[in-house]
Amino acid sequence: MNGTRDTSNMAPAGPGGLDPREAARLLAETEREARRQFNLSPQWTNLVMGAVILVAYGSLWLTTRGQHPYTGPSLGVVALVYVAVAVAFAVAVKVYRRATAGVSGPAVRQQQAVGVAILVSFVLGSPVLQGALRHYGASDAIVYGVIPAAAPLIIVGTTALGIAASKADWPQFGAALAVVIAGVVAAFVGPSGAWLAAGIGLFIAVVGYGAADTRRHRRPLGV
Amino acid sequence: MTADALDAVIHAPARLRIVATLAALPDGSSLSFTRLQDILELTPGNLITHLRKLEDAGYVTSQKTGNGVASRTAVALTRRGRAALDTYAEALRGLLDGLPAAQ
Repeated sequence: MNGTRDTSNMAPAGPGGLDPREAARLLAETEREARRQFNLSPQWTNLVMGAVILVAYGSLWLTTRGQHPYTGPSLGVVALVYVAVAVAFAVAVKVYRRATAGVSGPAVRQQQAVGVAILVSFVLGSPVLQGALRHYGASDAIVYGVIPAAAPLIIVGTTALGIAASKADWPQFGAALAVVIAGVVAAFVGPSGAWLAAGIGLFIAVVGYGAADTRRHRRPLGV
Repeated sequence: MTADALDAVIHAPARLRIVATLAALPDGSSLSFTRLQDILELTPGNLITHLRKLEDAGYVTSQKTGNGVASRTAVALTRRGRAALDTYAEALRGLLDGLPAAQ
């Protein structure tokens, strides 16, 4: 269906009076619009998330670079990171609400459960580890550098990896794997380098997933 | 193959768009009447008429919940409807593939 067919040899219009070529065009156009309407991760949100990641992790890396001993990011940068996370969360909620407005059924409930699982692993995973390490006397470089940079990526990444595998969603699986790898690298490059490794890994995962998802959505379902 | 091989219930612009839109949702999901109307930009009367034809063919189901202003109608594609769209798309593909490409 490349739109280059000779209409003089076209089959007659169908029972509804609709030309077959026109029907094919209408079907492809409707599928494209429907997928755009129900898309949970449109390309623009991936770009916003990518920018938020670069600003947040870049600021953390820049303010902690060259600290000896490691004292952690400044309060201003911590506030900036919280704002960035709030912006990213608000964008994700808005897109989710728009995409699922009026939609109901088991798939929506499954998406909500996935969202809760990821949120719980993000909120609980790293603080628990940080608290335990602080309790056992680990240094600031570990408690406020390496762990908050690496642990959320490893914990949330492995959670997302399992979810993606169960749905056979391979672009999501690839993105989750990139996040886990970034977390592993971040765990071994020192407290400041951890922020850089985490930021680069997350950026690649989010933008790469966005590109793969866009390519997948461009493929026609029907004709 | 001729255009007569195409399913007459689906082969109408509004009904084709309704079925294709509902098919973009995961299996078992339903869409509210108002959201479907917003996406397709059809009048309520027009949408009801076409939904009725699709329901008669067993391609969609609609379920009304609540009363008065709180009432909500959810529309879903049935398995039969999804299969009919697949068959329709296949027939359309065959029809177009049998035609010579323009020079």
